[in-house]
Amino acid sequence: MTTSPRAPSRLHPAIAGVIIALIAALFIWLLSFSPWKVVPFALAGQAYVLIAILLAFRYWPPMIRWVTSMSVPHRAVFGVLIGSMILGHYTLNGRTYFPYVVWEIFPFVNERDPVTCREFIATTESGARVRLLAEQLFPSIVQIDPLDALDNPRLYPPGATERLARALARVYNEHHTGDPVRRVDLFVMAVKLHPPASESRAQPSCELLKRYDISSGQ
Amino acid sequence: MRTSQTLRHLIGPIELLHEQAGPRLLRLTRLGVFALWIVKLLLDPLWRLAEMPREMLHPVGILALLPESALDALLTWNGLAALIVFTLGVLVLALTDKAFPVVATIAAVLLTAYSSLIRSFGPAVHTDIVLLLAVYSLAAFAWADWIALKFGGKKSLPAAWSSYPLVTIVAMLCLSYCLVGLNRTIAGGVHVFTGDTMEAWAVDASLRGYYFNTNIGWHIPEWPAVVFMLSSGLPVITLFEITAPLCLVVPHFRWIFIPVMLSFHLLSLVFMNIFFFDDMLCYLLLFDWSRRFPALQAPLRQTPA
Repeated sequence: MTTSPRAPSRLHPAIAGVIIALIAALFIWLLSFSPWKVVPFALAGQAYVLIAILLAFRYWPPMIRWVTSMSVPHRAVFGVLIGSMILGHYTLNGRTYFPYVVWEIFPFVNERDPVTCREFIATTESGARVRLLAEQLFPSIVQIDPLDALDNPRLYPPGATERLARALARVYNEHHTGDPVRRVDLFVMAVKLHPPASESRAQPSCELLKRYDISSGQ
Repeated sequence: MRTSQTLRHLIGPIELLHEQAGPRLLRLTRLGVFALWIVKLLLDPLWRLAEMPREMLHPVGILALLPESALDALLTWNGLAALIVFTLGVLVLALTDKAFPVVATIAAVLLTAYSSLIRSFGPAVHTDIVLLLAVYSLAAFAWADWIALKFGGKKSLPAAWSSYPLVTIVAMLCLSYCLVGLNRTIAGGVHVFTGDTMEAWAVDASLRGYYFNTNIGWHIPEWPAVVFMLSSGLPVITLFEITAPLCLVVPHFRWIFIPVMLSFHLLSLVFMNIFFFDDMLCYLLLFDWSRRFPALQAPLRQTPA
C-alpha cells in the first residue's frame, strides 16, 4: 500500500522540539514552583507530552506504512489496546479498571525523616524471633497495604491488625509445626535519613506497639 | 555538516522493531508468554489466601463486579485451588495453538481474575500488568486475523500480520514506562528529583520487605555513594522511561536502554526488594530477532495457522 507524499513541514524539527520542550518545562514550573498546584495542570502536562510523542509516531513514515498495512479489525485492536492504556492512566484510579491502571511509581515528594514502618516480629516456642511478612507467607500477594493503614477506619474494621497477625502466625505454624509461634509483637521501626554521627546504625530503632499472645489459640 | 553526520552515525538506522516478523516468531512469543504465566502459577500457592482475614480483601477490577456470595465461594481453599487448576489447564491448552482465539480469550479472562485477586489484598501494583496485556494482545489480534480471513478471504490478510501483536506488546511495554516517567516528572514536579525523596522511598521499601527481602536498603543512609547513585540515578532513569517509545524505532537506543533498565531493575531488587522480573523477560521482545534470523521473517504472503 502506498501513501500520498506529504508536503515538507515548514518548521524545522529541532525548532519544533525546542518549542515542545519549553511548553513541557512551563507545565513543570506550574506544578513545581507556581502557587497554583492544581491537578488539571498535571493531567494537561502529561497529555501534552504524550500527544507530542504520539504525533511523532503518527507522522513517521515506517509507522504510517505499518498501520496502513493493517486491515480494519487489526487497526481497531491496536487502537483499543493502546487507547485503553492511556485512558486507564487518566482515570487516576488504580483499582476499578484493572489492568488499565494509573501508571504511577514514586510520583510525589517523600520528605519523611525518619522513615518509619510497622513490622510483625514473632517469637517461637524455642525463643527464636522471626519476622512475619504477609508477602512471604502468602506469596500470591505482591504487596499488602502498610500495616499502619490497618488502623484507618475508612479502609479496615477495628481489630484488623490483630486478625492479620493471627492469620500470619497460623500459616507460619502450618509450615513449622516443630517450632510454632507463641507470640507476635507489633513494632514500629525507624531509620533516620540523616543520623547523628555518634548514633549506632547496626539496626533500625524499634518501639513495641502491641503484643498478641498466639498460644491462647484465640 | 560533520556534526550532523556524526549525530546520524550515533543515532544509527531508524526502523520499526519486528516489522519483518513472521509467524514463527509470533508462535515463539505465544509460547513464551503462556509458558511464563504457567511457571508463575505453578509457583503460586494461591489456596493459602483462604486463610487471609476477609476484611483484608478490597476487590480490584472485575472481582468488584462479583456478588459477595461468589467472592465467599472463591475465597475458600477449594475455590482458589479450582481457579488456579482451571487457569493452568487453559494456559496449557493455549500452548497447543488449537482454537487459539477462543482459548486465549478464556485465558485472558481467567488471568485477569487471578491478577485482580492477588492485588485485592493491597495496592494494585504494576508488576506483570504488561505480561497480562500481552495475553490481551495475542488474543485480540488472533480474533482480528480470524475476522479478516472470514470476511475478506485470504487476500485480505496483510503480509505483516505476524508483526502486529509483537509491535503492540512492545508499544505497551514502552508506553507503561513512558506514562510512569511522565507522571513522575510532571505530576511530581522537579522536587521529586531533589532532596531525599529517592532515599526515603528506598528505605521505606526496604523496611517493609516483600517476597524478596534483601534487608539491605535501610542501610542506605550510611552509604553516601549509594545515596548519590540513587539521587542522581532517578532523573536518568526517568528520562529513559519517558523516551522508552524510542525502543520501537531506534536500535542504537535499545542497546543503551536494555542494560540501563536491567541494571535499574536489579538495583531495585537489591535496595528496595522490588522485582519486576516479568518486565525484564518482556525485554526479550526488544531484540529484533527476525532481522537476525531469516527463518523468523515473514514470507511475502502468509496465513495464520
